[in-house]
Amino acid sequence: MTEKIRVHPGFYFLMLFFSAVFVMNHAVDDWGRAANGLDNLKTFFYQSLWPPDWSVFKPRAYPQCEAPEWLEVTCSTAWIGMTETLQIAFVSTVFGMTFSLPLALLAARNISPLAVSTFARLLLASLRSLPSLIWAIFFVILIGMGPVSGIFAMTVYTVGYLGKLQYEAIEGMNNTPLEAADAAGLSGVDKALNIVIPESANDLISQAIFMFEYNVRHGTVIGIVGAGGIGYYIDLYLGFLVYDRVLAYLILIFATVLVIDAASVYIRSFFNDERSQKRPTWLGVFLPGQ
Amino acid sequence: MPGGESNQILVQLEGVVIGYSQDTPLAEISSLNVRCGEIIAIAGLSGIGKTTLIKTIAGLVQPLAGRISVCGAEIPKRPDRGNLGYIPQRLGLVRHASVFHNVLIGSRATYGGFLGVLASKDAKEMARKSIEKMGLTEKIWEPVRRLSGGQQRRVATARTLAQSPRVILADEFLSELDHETMSNVSETVVNYARSADAAVILIEHDMKRASNIADKIMVMDEGTLKILNPESMMMEVQK
Ligand SMILES: Nc1ncnc2c1ncn2[C@@H]1O[C@H](COP(=O)(O)OP(=O)(O)OP(=O)(O)O)[C@@H](O)[C@H]1O
Ligand SMILES: [Mg+2]
Repeated sequence: MTEKIRVHPGFYFLMLFFSAVFVMNHAVDDWGRAANGLDNLKTFFYQSLWPPDWSVFKPRAYPQCEAPEWLEVTCSTAWIGMTETLQIAFVSTVFGMTFSLPLALLAARNISPLAVSTFARLLLASLRSLPSLIWAIFFVILIGMGPVSGIFAMTVYTVGYLGKLQYEAIEGMNNTPLEAADAAGLSGVDKALNIVIPESANDLISQAIFMFEYNVRHGTVIGIVGAGGIGYYIDLYLGFLVYDRVLAYLILIFATVLVIDAASVYIRSFFNDERSQKRPTWLGVFLPGQ
Repeated sequence: MPGGESNQILVQLEGVVIGYSQDTPLAEISSLNVRCGEIIAIAGLSGIGKTTLIKTIAGLVQPLAGRISVCGAEIPKRPDRGNLGYIPQRLGLVRHASVFHNVLIGSRATYGGFLGVLASKDAKEMARKSIEKMGLTEKIWEPVRRLSGGQQRRVATARTLAQSPRVILADEFLSELDHETMSNVSETVVNYARSADAAVILIEHDMKRASNIADKIMVMDEGTLKILNPESMMMEVQK
């Protein structure tokens, strides 16, 4: 037997990296354009973007704002858009989870027969194959503009995406409790409700919170096609070429996502039992490299 | 159930070959009968195939050849719900759930409930009783992951007893227990087997313990299962 030549794993990464450089070289026909891009950006930034127009936090002219003065911000397009996005994300995460969990239980190979799990996986994969933006276009055409279309679109995508995370968590669980249950002759429903769900509850909760965070980020986009949320205003002002307002919305989205990200890291740390000894501090979740 | 014809065979193996692939069978058991109220212990070196044998009898691993029947149902048919109790070597507890929840999984198999959500009164009653027998009443609402190794082993035993099974397959259920707890637990299981006329197959490395509990000791070696005769049993115990 000849001795096997062992290749350092890093070598494979180098090959991968150079193949990416090679492919990119083919995709880019004119490097000069990319270089001009930087100059264009500078001009664009100072002439149209900066400073952001914070008037988006002022009450809209119409309809008249009825909130007391210190709550005037709730009449602003920024507030209205952002809360709508959060509402869409919340509703579609909860609805999505309601449908995805039963499907995930059917899709998990360790508790469902092969035929059933194959079918459930196919269904989940097809819901997931289109991004939520495409689903949003679909529902806007089907039932018209507005947050309801957004909720439908995000729910459908959530079922596909969360369902996959869930059945993978379920399949990763320890098999021995299921073996003891099989020997005793327990039914699939018994196993799902009394063993699988309690055993993987931490993962399921943590994934649902992650999904909400994901839906907030993606929910900002679907407004662009008329499916509700802050994206609607971004699209509106992009159309009017009022880029400084768009920038103000973007900064708001950035800040909101940051806060939800941090809250999500913090809340999820309660549900990772092995790792919970080192719970991040509130400040720590904002700082990278903690 | 209890009382049945006490000579009835509950577990029967004929020409059974166990293992995970046809090329490397682990052992061949030409014949093995376990009757009502009988307790047999199986010993053998680590990795010889004891757990595999128990899992094959439990219907979790396919036999490579031969016929197995448990409570009159020949594999691949299953015995009636709740009739077979299996205590895995790795216990198989739901770690995040309470002791009560875990034991209720066992009693639910026999005493039922509604759609796996609600347990019947009998099931709850039975779960409480088995927890008490295993001396865990104080820990009844504790999540299993916070119990000691020996306590967890007793939860798994309680789960199986709560099934009121006709056949118990116990894979090293006495390890990690101190002497006193060990004799309590084994006594409870022996008493159960005698009074309910249940058959017990247990895996036990410790010959002394095995000879205390079991009517018959078998050793898995050189690809087969041999009965240890009383003389050599004594020798093994003295070693
Ligand atoms: N799922 C599996 N697939 C393939 N081989 C397995 C599997 N489980 C166990 N084996 C192999 O089968 C052999 C017997 O394992 P088994 O668990 O039955 O041993 P054991 O007698 O119970 O040992 P111990 O006393 O250490 O528990 C081992 O060599 C093991 O590697
Ligand atoms: Mg073993």
